[in-house]
Amino acid sequence: MSIAEKRNRACTKLLADVHAIVDKEGIYPSALHEMKLKLVALAKRTELFPLADFAMPVAQGRNHPLLVEDNDGLGLYLTISLPGKEAAPHDHGIWCVNAALAGRERHQLFRRTDDGATPGRATVLKVGEVTVEPGHGMAMADHDIHSTMVLGKEPAIGLAVYGYALTRFPSVSWYLPQFGSVRTTASRRHAPAA
Amino acid sequence: MKTYRVTIGNTGQTIDCAGNHTVLEAAVAAGIDYPYACATGNCATCISKLESGKVTLLPRGDAALRPEQIKAGQTLACRARPRSDLSITWLARPR
Repeated sequence: MSIAEKRNRACTKLLADVHAIVDKEGIYPSALHEMKLKLVALAKRTELFPLADFAMPVAQGRNHPLLVEDNDGLGLYLTISLPGKEAAPHDHGIWCVNAALAGRERHQLFRRTDDGATPGRATVLKVGEVTVEPGHGMAMADHDIHSTMVLGKEPAIGLAVYGYALTRFPSVSWYLPQFGSVRTTASRRHAPAA
Repeated sequence: MKTYRVTIGNTGQTIDCAGNHTVLEAAVAAGIDYPYACATGNCATCISKLESGKVTLLPRGDAALRPEQIKAGQTLACRARPRSDLSITWLARPR
């Protein structure tokens, strides 16, 4: 069996495990934690994810679909982010879990502190921080707000499972503390499945 | 840090932008309603045509600005730091 076949088998098993967890527990912190542990275990099998099989980013960030389910199901990706790549605080509207294969990525967690009364304006407060590195991962519920930043001089390479495929994401809300603003991108929920 | 003159084609305004700030940061500080969302090179809401001048780009996601778009003169205002006086036009549809 080739590495690609072994990888596909392992990814299929992972998503089957995730479905079993959701079916049993729903989407709750305990379920997300259990999914994270499954994903961390998969990420430890680095022999399944040789870099030669995954092109590096042309710029600084690239997502490789590993297994994207039909019928609006889950999406499992291998993500590569180069040093300096960042994402401002955002709520992508759907749960996710991730785990590192290599490198280090800092996730800062935020809580919205305004009352939402003024369209386009928002304030957020940092409430936590997690560094995702090999052997570790993190889980986020549907509307958790987090930012990301690659740390150090090595690419941050990881696995991520989202409740929806990236091509079918809900609207994403971006919080910009330096502007005191919130902006949303259009939902892809009505886009054709990729 | 050297400051450059940045002309926003959509509004006709010319603003100052320091070389260590992005075009988007300078525009927002000047009160211009420049379209943006992530401001970190991921969503491409601020995709713009660099009509003239030079910029350097901060780290960004591949999907937000492809090499062929750069060749066509497009840039991301949220990732673009001026390296000369420049003129730029956002490409988002009017809101």
